[in-house]
Amino acid sequence: MSGTRILVVDDELQIVRALQMKLKSEGYEVETAGSAAEALAAAAARPPAAIILDVLLPDGHGTEVCRELRQWLSAPILVLSAVGDENEKIAALDAGADDYVTKPFSVDELLARLRAALRRTSPSREAVLEIGALRVDLERRLVMMDGRPVSLTPTEYDLLRLLARNEGKLLTHPAILREVWGPAYREESNYLHVYVSQLRRKLEPDPARPRYLLTVASVGYRLVDPLAAS
Amino acid sequence: MRSLPLRIDLAGVAASVLAVALVTGAVFALRPLAPVLSLGVLYVFAVLPAAAGWGLAYALVVSLVSLLIFNFFFLPPVHTLALSDPENWVALTVYLVTAVVVSELAARSRRRAAEVEQQRREFAFAADVSGLLLECRFVQDRLRPIGARLAEVLGVPRAHIEIGSLRRPEPAERAYDLAVADRHLGRLFLSSHAAPDPAVTGRVLQTLSSLLASATERERLAHAALVAEGLRQSDEIKTAVLRTLSHDLRSPLTAIGAASEVLDGGAESLTQAERAELVTTVRLQTRRLTRLVSNLLDLSRLEAGAARPRPELWTVDGLLAGALEAIGPDAERISVVLPAESPTLHVDSAQIERVLVNLLENALKVSSPTDVVEISTEAGPLELVLKIADHGPGLERGELERIFEPFERGGLSPGAGTGLGLAIARGFVRANGGRIWAESRPGRGATFALALPVARSRAPERGARPETREPPPGRDRVATDPAR
Repeated sequence: MSGTRILVVDDELQIVRALQMKLKSEGYEVETAGSAAEALAAAAARPPAAIILDVLLPDGHGTEVCRELRQWLSAPILVLSAVGDENEKIAALDAGADDYVTKPFSVDELLARLRAALRRTSPSREAVLEIGALRVDLERRLVMMDGRPVSLTPTEYDLLRLLARNEGKLLTHPAILREVWGPAYREESNYLHVYVSQLRRKLEPDPARPRYLLTVASVGYRLVDPLAAS
Repeated sequence: MRSLPLRIDLAGVAASVLAVALVTGAVFALRPLAPVLSLGVLYVFAVLPAAAGWGLAYALVVSLVSLLIFNFFFLPPVHTLALSDPENWVALTVYLVTAVVVSELAARSRRRAAEVEQQRREFAFAADVSGLLLECRFVQDRLRPIGARLAEVLGVPRAHIEIGSLRRPEPAERAYDLAVADRHLGRLFLSSHAAPDPAVTGRVLQTLSSLLASATERERLAHAALVAEGLRQSDEIKTAVLRTLSHDLRSPLTAIGAASEVLDGGAESLTQAERAELVTTVRLQTRRLTRLVSNLLDLSRLEAGAARPRPELWTVDGLLAGALEAIGPDAERISVVLPAESPTLHVDSAQIERVLVNLLENALKVSSPTDVVEISTEAGPLELVLKIADHGPGLERGELERIFEPFERGGLSPGAGTGLGLAIARGFVRANGGRIWAESRPGRGATFALALPVARSRAPERGARPETREPPPGRDRVATDPAR
């Protein structure tokens, strides 16, 4: 991890300082910014490996910064928000943020999300994805759970493949619908909810208490490795 | 039709008597020039004006009287009502029929004219009422002029309209319902002595009802639109308040949570200075959160009307001393000019000191650390005006009022404050009978002014019941008493 540079953007200096200390102790290199302008300047001067970005900045909105950065930067962006409003989450994710954390957050959880985001930036071109006990063989379109083959319909398979390729990443409803069903289905969240529960019945050991396919209320879904998350 | 029921009209009687007398005189005068029988036709000139002016009934009476007089004075045997010659019978019958026919024709044209006139009046009434209702915002405001016009068109002394009323008429009143289809609009009250023509009343009330119905409907729709707009705006305000509040509560919680987690997890990797910094963060952010919570509680108490002041006699010196003490080391940057003679104020010291602390903290926050915040006082006979001037960016004209609204930060960044301090200050000042306002010198700073009523009674001299007292030293004057 050493040498991985993280840009932390927040106008609350004391939050920035606490995160800076924690990240440093984990071996990251940390740069900080207190405003949208500083953030853009810092990212342009030395592109960081990942950005932790507060949504509400004194000189602008984090969503705008996100959109701006996405023009030329592919590093993962984790958005922090103190408002906790679903529309804001969706707007930030639509603007290109990779994940979204609501204040107050656990620093450990933030770091886990950061690690997952950084892992995704070096996407494995492997033909087989392994997430906990779940195995997705992309070449042969085969899915195994705990070594047992799982039979999926084509749509279920497409949905699982999208989630598995973005392991740990929060995917919004519109984004999933667009990828799996096509652009005409952007608003049809109901389809998605039905397919997710079908997938859970086939994959999850206890479908009522999902550990792989997690719901992020009103925003989207995330496929995680239950062992890595804890 | 109003003329048919015979009403004794003195003018009509006098005119008829005069006309009959004149014609009788003329017949008498012309008797040598023409056969007397043919002169009888002159009585038509007495009957016609009666028919045209007062109606058929009058005309008939005048005809009959004319015939009797003609017979009495001119037809043999003269000076009796008997007739000797059958020829005269025929003549008299012809005169009578002619008079009645002419009368009826005249009365008819008179009725026509009256009807046309009444219609014209009713049209004019409808036009006036719709004009009055069209250009008004509240129907209620126009009921008086409409009532006046209605009285005129109905020919009654007074007409009183009550919208939405189902009131029973008083003994001297008669009530008419104003309704359209099944919708009751209100009632019209007339004096019970007035007897308007029922046909006219029916027509006029129908016109009036439909005009009032459309006007009240328009008013209801306008009101509904206004209410809907108000709700939309209040929704927007609520959303904005919730977002701000959410941010203000979560930010310090995040800082406290993050700092304590870092302290807990990686104590060995932190330097002594870093540990100290994190501990300070926890302490400062806890204070920020505490202040926000007590601000919110104060504001809700104020809005619920539960922050009733407990006024005592205080001097402005004592109140300022308490506020400056509560502010702590930053109070060094505040310069105070006290009035030569300090008037006594009858206020709740905890609330007014809270107001002063909020205003002073704001002033310190917007000024650069080298700037001085100035407090000046002007003692008048009725109130004491206390001004707090800063050297910050000042306020825009439009912000001077708005700045006192809750969660309004006047362009300051969210981290700078809760946006509650001035709202609370205004609430406390008003509760204590004072006024608060902002003045601005754009680019050179803002001034917040506070006017507090001067107590009428002076503090009594020693020996009397002691009421004025200096604040006890060391008392925490910012913390809110939870029991209040």
